[in-house]
Amino acid sequence: MKLFTKYNRINLLATIIVFVLSGIAYFFLLRFILINQVDEDLKIEQHEIENYVSKYRSLPEVIAVKDQQISYVAVNNGNERNVFTNRHADRQRRRAFFRQLDFFIHVKKQWYQVSVSKSLEGTDNLIQSIVTITLVTILVVLVVSLVINRLVLRKLWQPFYDSLAGIRRFELEKKEMPVFAATAIEEFKAMNETFSDVTAKAQQDYLYLKEFTENASHELQTPLAVIKSKLDVLIQDPQLTEAQSKAAFAAYEAIQRLARLNQGLLLLAKIENGQYNSVSDFCVAEKITEKIHQFGELIDAKKIHVHTSFESGATVSMNPALADIMLNNLLSNAIKYNVFDGNINVVVQDGVLEISNSGKKEALGDSKLFRRFAKSGQAEEGIGLGLAIVKQAAEVSGFSARYVYENGLHRFFLIRNPHL
Amino acid sequence: MKILIIEDEIALSDSICTYFNSENFVCETASDFKSAIEKISLYDYACIILDITLPGGSGLDILHDLRLNHKNDGVIIISARNAVNDKVTGLKNGADDYLAKPFHLSELSARVDAIIRRKTFHGKDIIEIGDLSLSVPNKTVEFNGKSVELTRMEYDLLLYFASNKNRVISKGAMAEHLWGDDMDMTANYDFLYTHIKNLRKKLLMAGCPDYIKSVYGLGYKFAV
Repeated sequence: MKLFTKYNRINLLATIIVFVLSGIAYFFLLRFILINQVDEDLKIEQHEIENYVSKYRSLPEVIAVKDQQISYVAVNNGNERNVFTNRHADRQRRRAFFRQLDFFIHVKKQWYQVSVSKSLEGTDNLIQSIVTITLVTILVVLVVSLVINRLVLRKLWQPFYDSLAGIRRFELEKKEMPVFAATAIEEFKAMNETFSDVTAKAQQDYLYLKEFTENASHELQTPLAVIKSKLDVLIQDPQLTEAQSKAAFAAYEAIQRLARLNQGLLLLAKIENGQYNSVSDFCVAEKITEKIHQFGELIDAKKIHVHTSFESGATVSMNPALADIMLNNLLSNAIKYNVFDGNINVVVQDGVLEISNSGKKEALGDSKLFRRFAKSGQAEEGIGLGLAIVKQAAEVSGFSARYVYENGLHRFFLIRNPHL
Repeated sequence: MKILIIEDEIALSDSICTYFNSENFVCETASDFKSAIEKISLYDYACIILDITLPGGSGLDILHDLRLNHKNDGVIIISARNAVNDKVTGLKNGADDYLAKPFHLSELSARVDAIIRRKTFHGKDIIEIGDLSLSVPNKTVEFNGKSVELTRMEYDLLLYFASNKNRVISKGAMAEHLWGDDMDMTANYDFLYTHIKNLRKKLLMAGCPDYIKSVYGLGYKFAV
């Protein structure tokens, strides 16, 4: 529910209640005034009758007047009290209210009860009018608020939606900051200022962190080089025992792994920094065929069957070094995690490159697979950066990377973004 | 032959010196920009191993200085900044090769050898290793005048051994040399074993002594 819908509901409900209450109050007030008026009229009638009686010593003749009835009833005794009552009368099958004044009058030693009544048809009409007016007013209020909602609110809230869209488009990796349009509304201004501050802060923290990672990786290279060279010197010692050699070998392997890890992190940082931005066009099929040839020895060793299907003349415009890196990582994964006598399929069709391979018979996980160090159970050998590098390289080249496990195949896709 | 190591990390230049001294190289070191400039103006070196980031200046300026003085020393850049730009700038400014840190000393040795060969013999050289002779331009191998048929991989391996003879080369360094950095196959040495086995068999069949020794699963040594 939108904020203003909620507010509108409360507002409308309150308005309707106020209108109904004021209608009721209005009705009672008017009815009171009207009945008072009628009572005054009835009293005037009483005076007239009393005057007539005192003047002529007889009751006046009853003249039928519209909305007014007078009747006399002879009674045994009477008093001076005036009694006003409301009376229903079924007149011509239409219920009607009457206001009646009963009083006693003494004419020629005989008491009479005089009833003078006047129709209250006016109040009937009054209720109708008030109900009608109230309903019409409520309807008008509803319609007006609806129209305002439609025409004005959207425009009023536009800065809010603009800011939201700006924030949604904001990506830390991209260097552009979201721009929020100036607005005169205080709340929106405060919101935009907060957004600007927060995004600027996030961006800065991100840059610091990135810079730190890159510097740390760079700084690590030299000590790594020292350790590696010292090990190279150490293993030249002819006095080395077998146990010492084994220890040296383990240290060697660990350094190698650390060096690769560091290299991977540096590569990611470089891709992010746009150091692979220069692009050139090349034939996809040629590049892939060349890569498969490079891996030929490894493919043959596992007796892997490679099936390729290339859309004729498909070219791609991207950094060739990045393409090499992406294909190296995807193909070496497809070989490394394949089974003996397995399959690799490479398909290029409609801007999609698919590399699928047989392997462990279970899915490797979801999109998290492309995250750094998101290792699945079988990838003990890897450093956990290969697919993260593929994803990063794909993204800066206008592709998105996907993975599914289907029919016993691990399928990796690079999909060209539609707007490119 | 003299080589100069311009590197501010003393521990690293020490290692390089130790490794190269065991061959018929004489190593000199410079650990900052000023002493490096001094040394290259006074002496000629067969090869200069040059770090880019130095206290007091950039290695690229040293390179520039060398070429300005028409010195023909071979130069290999070793840099922690494995950036494409650094590599391109370095090679454009007259460096002969580029090696990113961290590297294997055996790899550095092979690269330095290749540079010296190019500079000294203009690529028309024959490398003698034991009783074997390798013809670099033709990529052929002869034992006692009889040619030994090798695959490209086996030839590369032999050439690598030639640059590091009598020294232990780790399996990791060999695998990286043969398949490059990108393959990420270093954890799997099966292919290396296969190639070593085949090379050894072919050399033995040609009547060559068993030069290739395995060192405790650590690596191999070409002992002559």
